[in-house]
Amino acid sequence: MNDAQLVQQVLNGNNHAFRFLVSKYQRLVTHVVGRIIQQEDELEDICQEVFIKVFKTLKRFRGDSKLSTWIATIAYNTAITHYRKLKRRGELSYSEEPNLILAEKDPGLNQKSIEKEEAKKYLMQLIESLPVNYRTVITLFHLEEFSYKEIEEITGMPEGTIKSYLSRARKLLKGKIEKVARLEQTNIFVDYV
Amino acid sequence: MKKLPVWNKLIYLLTMYNEDRNFDTDQILKEAFTSEPEFKLSENFTDLLVEKVERRFAWAQYIREFLIYLSVILGIMLVTAVLAFVWYDAKIENWLSFFTSNAALVVGINLLVVFVLFADRVLLRYFMYRASTE
Repeated sequence: MNDAQLVQQVLNGNNHAFRFLVSKYQRLVTHVVGRIIQQEDELEDICQEVFIKVFKTLKRFRGDSKLSTWIATIAYNTAITHYRKLKRRGELSYSEEPNLILAEKDPGLNQKSIEKEEAKKYLMQLIESLPVNYRTVITLFHLEEFSYKEIEEITGMPEGTIKSYLSRARKLLKGKIEKVARLEQTNIFVDYV
Repeated sequence: MKKLPVWNKLIYLLTMYNEDRNFDTDQILKEAFTSEPEFKLSENFTDLLVEKVERRFAWAQYIREFLIYLSVILGIMLVTAVLAFVWYDAKIENWLSFFTSNAALVVGINLLVVFVLFADRVLLRYFMYRASTE
């Protein structure tokens, strides 16, 4: 079933079609909303709100863009509104140095893979600590594989700004990682035995 | 073992991470950028959402039907009034004086009719629907 048929089915009141639409785009909505809001307790409610908005406004979808782009736009706008609200109320917590995630949780993993997993988790948390616009464009471009044009449509940011955010985010993280690599060469782990 | 700050631990972990290959920042970043974040929705998210949407859809449908009934009734009343003026020489002054002298009664009866219609077309059906789905 293509997107146009799916939309038509939902508009005809087919609940199974709506269920299918939710399952198909749940991942996208969760990633966009999650990366902006970063609060587990708010995530579910906002995702619900996004899909209810999708359902209510689906008749206005004309197929000029892909359905995924259209849904991502709704998800972005809803999440950013909530983000601003939370920010105004001072309810956003910002952590510069993420907490250590204990690796002992999964006894099935060997030591090396635990460490790789942990390092990866740290990097993920570094991404989470980037400014909201950086994490949003990273998610849309790298994770959801939208083009610059589509990201422009979703976020309303000009293409140049999107490219600049992507490059600055990459540079920022790269700087942190390379700093790590440099420190490694200076043998700072002498004490870590 | 000496306790290290979080950043040093990260440095240690990245060293371990990279010890079996050449250090490639772009590769690490690419992996991190394309990795799934850990945000998760509950397993019954779709069920709850579909249920909620169905309820809203039913409510909107009942309201729409109620408004259609109401407009049909108002339409019939309007046609009747026009006919009364055209065929039976009804006088607007007489009607106005009747309405003003019996305002409470007229408003009360109208509200009662609208409420009965609303309860019958919307409330009862909605509660019956809720009861059947729970």
